[in-house]
Amino acid sequence: MQANKPENFTQNVTDALAQPDLKMIIRRTTDKAEAKRTDAIANFPEFEKARAQGQKVKDHTIKHMDHYLAEFEKNALAQGTIVHWASTAEEASKIVLDICREHKAKKVTRSKSMLGEEIGLTHAFDNSDIERIETDLAEHIIQLAGDPPSHIIWPAMHRSREDVVKLFREFHSDPTYSEEITDLVRSARRDLRTKFLTSDIGISGSNFLLADSGSSCTVTNEGNAELTITPPKVHIVTAGIEKLVPSMAHAIPLLRLLTRSATGADITQYITFHNGPKRKNDADGPEECHIVLVDNGRTKMLAEGMEEMLRCIRCGACMNHCVVYKHIGGHAYGSVYPGPMGSVLTPHLQSLEVANKQTHACTMNGRCEDVCPVNIPLPKLLRSLRAQSWQKKYEPLTNRFFVKFFGQLAKRPQLFQLFSSCGVIFMKIFSRNGWIKFMPFTSGWTKNRDLIEPETTTFMHQYKKLKNLKVMERKL
Amino acid sequence: MNKHISDMSREKIFNAIKSAKPTITADAKTIEDEALELLKESEFARPQLMSEDATEALMLRIDAGLVIGTTCEKISTLDMLPHSVKQFFDRNSLPAELKVQSVEPLNKLNWQGITTDIDIVNDNTVGLCWAEYGVAETGSFVAHSSPEMPILLNFLPLYLIAIIPKSKILHYMDDYALIANEIAKKKQTPRNMCLISGVSGTTDIEGVLVKGAHGPEVLHIIIVEDE
Ligand code: SF4
Repeated sequence: MQANKPENFTQNVTDALAQPDLKMIIRRTTDKAEAKRTDAIANFPEFEKARAQGQKVKDHTIKHMDHYLAEFEKNALAQGTIVHWASTAEEASKIVLDICREHKAKKVTRSKSMLGEEIGLTHAFDNSDIERIETDLAEHIIQLAGDPPSHIIWPAMHRSREDVVKLFREFHSDPTYSEEITDLVRSARRDLRTKFLTSDIGISGSNFLLADSGSSCTVTNEGNAELTITPPKVHIVTAGIEKLVPSMAHAIPLLRLLTRSATGADITQYITFHNGPKRKNDADGPEECHIVLVDNGRTKMLAEGMEEMLRCIRCGACMNHCVVYKHIGGHAYGSVYPGPMGSVLTPHLQSLEVANKQTHACTMNGRCEDVCPVNIPLPKLLRSLRAQSWQKKYEPLTNRFFVKFFGQLAKRPQLFQLFSSCGVIFMKIFSRNGWIKFMPFTSGWTKNRDLIEPETTTFMHQYKKLKNLKVMERKL
Repeated sequence: MNKHISDMSREKIFNAIKSAKPTITADAKTIEDEALELLKESEFARPQLMSEDATEALMLRIDAGLVIGTTCEKISTLDMLPHSVKQFFDRNSLPAELKVQSVEPLNKLNWQGITTDIDIVNDNTVGLCWAEYGVAETGSFVAHSSPEMPILLNFLPLYLIAIIPKSKILHYMDDYALIANEIAKKKQTPRNMCLISGVSGTTDIEGVLVKGAHGPEVLHIIIVEDE
């Protein structure tokens, strides 16, 4: 499957809506995630306090980001880690590839990292002579299928069991002929086991970077991060600079929030803190450890007043609860980060010009903000991006015309009322059985769904009538 | 060449942060105090345990099925361990073979009738490891890498048995963070500190939970009252 582009959002959405089973497949996972999160929060009455604490920890670290970055660098170096800095995605993936080439690596294993996708590491490896092996089961599936990820927690949620059966039969050396999910997972276990043990370099992301120790922290349910990192001679971590927290004690409240918000579990099975290369006489572990600290638009977000977005701990709750995501899935966004968080991030990581349509796809129902474990005001940030998009004239001319026209009308109440009364009459002409299936100027809406028939009179008219009625009642 | 790119990027990043927040300046002590203040909230922002006693809370959590694929038992003395391990083999219909972590308390035991040094690279094996700590909040055990603790021992076998001394069971993850901080002060931080809370699992195919994705499918925790 070819990766979609963010600038083709409208077409991507049309294509997604035309896929007959996609909505059902998405909802199967997101609805379950929603229900499990609700249960987890119900069993954690301290959630609101934890959320407030988590937000403060992130805000404090972002406020003193330069201090904590310097601390992290100092302590990571003291542990024996080699620290690299990258301003852009291209720089970051070049650094990683050069390290692999210096070590004459033929095969690298990689545990899931959205930052790796963001900096284009997967493509960089695929265009090189180094074999890339994804070890997270979902990433393994989409690597075999040649798909981009469609969710930040369940990147292969768009693939059905039948798809997986076909892929594993085609690509696994000792495939299963059963269609049972347990057998499919066993097939992947067999296939990946030797690959873990024979890899030249292990690459991971990091959920948290601990400034006071220079550690990186991985969080998984499969245990594939440790299996990716431990056997090879070299470990490379790629991490965004916003992953910093002051210490392990500060990461813990965020871990409580992350797992409950992501999968509804109180905790994930494997949380590992990695502190540089193996110590003298250690029984196993990499001999060399590198960390690539990546900016790629994060300092720009800081400068543009979008620092609240840097709190994001990549739990995916906002997309699980998003009505738009649930209809169109992750691929339609045309970016590594889909859903509400992606609609805020992509304009910074790529550009607002290419990703402005995503900011308009939001219904502003506020569910994403309600569930965000670090209180990111996603609707507010999306509104601010919409305003920027308007100022930069990225909206189509017809939209600009109608919005300006509306602005003029809204300033003139009588004219506004006249137009809305005419609008109601106009809409009534096209309505059948309470719904409008077609109406001039509204094809953007009616192409995919019907419009509800309006009331017989305008809101203002009904309001006035009600007010008069109340006045009369009082007089009586 | 990369060194040059990296140095330039470092400078760019620090300059960009400074120019984005020109008014925010604080000395290291003020920042540290602010950070410590945040931790005071942890006491009110963490879940209630199932019992005030850490060992009981950990066991109750596992018995309630809240730790995926995990069972638990308590033995009063360490020399009862080989017997418990044999029972584990019987329950799971396994041959009497396992890889025992080479650590003094386990080396001293009488393992007669059990092969104790198998190759864990093969699947279907059993590993036995000595945990550094237990955490009641999450039903976890903690493993630290060392010359005696191969991290892979916790990840390669399909069956894993972890021994936790009762005296090392902590109430909360925050308590472990304090210990990690002390270890760091002594400059003895191990390469890996793993908090393991259940078995390797995945829900990546149609949201169905499957245990034993890459690592253990079965985890048995044995708490030793008197080491
Ligand atoms: S924006 Fe909030 S809810 Fe969405 S992924 Fe980030 S932390 Fe989670």
